[in-house]
Amino acid sequence: METPLVLHAERLTKRYGRRTALTACDLMIPRGHIVGLVGPNGAGKSTLLQLACGLIGPTSGTLSVLGSRPAADAAHLARVGFVAQDTPVYAAFSIADHLKMGAWLNPSWDSALAERRIAEAGLDPAQKAGRLSGGQRAQLAMTIAAAKRPDLLIFDEPAAALDPLARKGFMRSLVEFVGELGASAVLSSHLLSDVEQVCDYLVVLCDSRVQVAGPVPELLASHHRMAGYPATMAGVEVIWAEYGRALVRAEAAVRDAEPVTLEELVLAYMSRAAGTGAAPRASAAVAR
Amino acid sequence: MIRMSLRQFRIQALVAAILVVLAVIYLINLGGGIRAVRDTSQLQSQYGQTMLFLAAGFGLVPALVGAFWGAPLIARELETGTHRLAWNQSVPRRRWLAVKLTVLGLASMAVAGTISALLTWAAGPIDQVAADRFSAILFGARGVVPIGYAAFGFTFGAITGLLARRTLPAMALVFLAVIAVQFAVPNLLRPHYLPAERVTVAMSADAINQARTLGSITGGPVVGGIAIPDAWVTDTSKLLTSDGRQLSDAAFDGCLTNAPKTGAIGTFGDVAVCLGKLDLHVDMAYQPNQRFWPFQWIELALYLGLSALLAAVGLSRIQRRVHPGQIMAWVRLRGARP
Repeated sequence: METPLVLHAERLTKRYGRRTALTACDLMIPRGHIVGLVGPNGAGKSTLLQLACGLIGPTSGTLSVLGSRPAADAAHLARVGFVAQDTPVYAAFSIADHLKMGAWLNPSWDSALAERRIAEAGLDPAQKAGRLSGGQRAQLAMTIAAAKRPDLLIFDEPAAALDPLARKGFMRSLVEFVGELGASAVLSSHLLSDVEQVCDYLVVLCDSRVQVAGPVPELLASHHRMAGYPATMAGVEVIWAEYGRALVRAEAAVRDAEPVTLEELVLAYMSRAAGTGAAPRASAAVAR
Repeated sequence: MIRMSLRQFRIQALVAAILVVLAVIYLINLGGGIRAVRDTSQLQSQYGQTMLFLAAGFGLVPALVGAFWGAPLIARELETGTHRLAWNQSVPRRRWLAVKLTVLGLASMAVAGTISALLTWAAGPIDQVAADRFSAILFGARGVVPIGYAAFGFTFGAITGLLARRTLPAMALVFLAVIAVQFAVPNLLRPHYLPAERVTVAMSADAINQARTLGSITGGPVVGGIAIPDAWVTDTSKLLTSDGRQLSDAAFDGCLTNAPKTGAIGTFGDVAVCLGKLDLHVDMAYQPNQRFWPFQWIELALYLGLSALLAAVGLSRIQRRVHPGQIMAWVRLRGARP
């Protein structure tokens, strides 16, 4: 049997009233990656991740996570760990209470793992969660999500509110968890630096649409920087052109092309989606 | 999930437990005091007022349960965002809600049941003498119906919280709505659980003197508070003449203001004599006292059915909801570097 994909979206659409948060997204993300989901605020990242963990349902289209409908049943819930944006915890509960909660509500709970991680993060189990710093709270939320030993960990802007040091610690823990569990992970961020450090698969989401998705090495290999505004060529797609340079996508080798950084690549797709700062000729040069 | 429900409920349960213990001590004392009265004919005058106060106070319990146990149950999770933590444990959302509703619903019913049992016991001797436990106010503070009220108050609170998503507005709304329901049911629904018995009562001067009131602020030939032995009077017509028509306001007011002096005694004196001469009667509807228990069970079933309906609404709603709008609004735009 084929290994089910971590995420498989087909024409996935989500509308809130008249506002469309996600438009006809197609995604096929294989297992074994740390997936970075990047895009500006309001691009639909949170919506996609909340769809993936079943907090909300799609307006149309389908999404399957690890081969079945998100949050289909208790067994499926046990396979997906989710750390929500701003890492909610029960303020009146102590850290130990949260671990007890995890043990009560998850048959697959690994209490040894949870306790070890809490100790490694330097947290006092007796402390009330309401008094934790943002970084500590994020560590607690991540521990709760990971200690049920899921196959997939989903993080929705986990580091958005953290200071740089706490963010670094959080990212390190994240990678350690994923390694220890042998899990896949999806991590959304509007900060490319977070994603660059840890992700080996990238999804760029702008303006409610998936702009580009793929393993990072493949993306870097297939995108190039060229001087000037290249004329339309077979097999070369101009993603974005400005200041006399163009970022193109071409599967085959292109003459006079330089390698791109991940940041350039992401910004090119974001700029194209936003359509800002464009030289008139650039948009004309975009091969569709 | 049961342990989780109880753990989250700890502080509210503690507060409630203290109040229940105080109520139990008070009621046991009261029951003892009532049983110490030798002359049972004195009971009504000594304790009648207390019984009404207790019934009214006990009537607040469902509203309190709804506001303090029910409304915050889900609204607080939605408000603080912790539902996103809770709903990603290995417990499907419906089961999460069903267990919470069951555990706390049973707790609400147990509290109301305990207080009702003790109050019913304490009031036993008075109820026997006064035979008024079927009256609109006391009925709701006896027997099994308080259990139904509590179940309804709690479920209504919980589901309102789920739909309103805001704790404080839900609490206020639930508190007022539950009280409104408890006013509406005895007046609008309860008289009709079983077809009322009807009787025509002749309004002789003696009969009129048995009444509590004569006339009303809005005018009209109204006589109030005529009792039927061993029954709960649910409706009394206006004063009717022998041909079945309503007594004219002129004739009624004439007796009220210009009754001939006869030196009659009685509550309404000359007025009663004047009206008594007009050959009047009233049509009354009533429910005999032996229907007390059938009515208790009918009302319990009504409230439990309503609670079950509300729970079903909640279980179907919780599967599809939660708007991430407020979450997305929090995110500060730090954006990609240009």
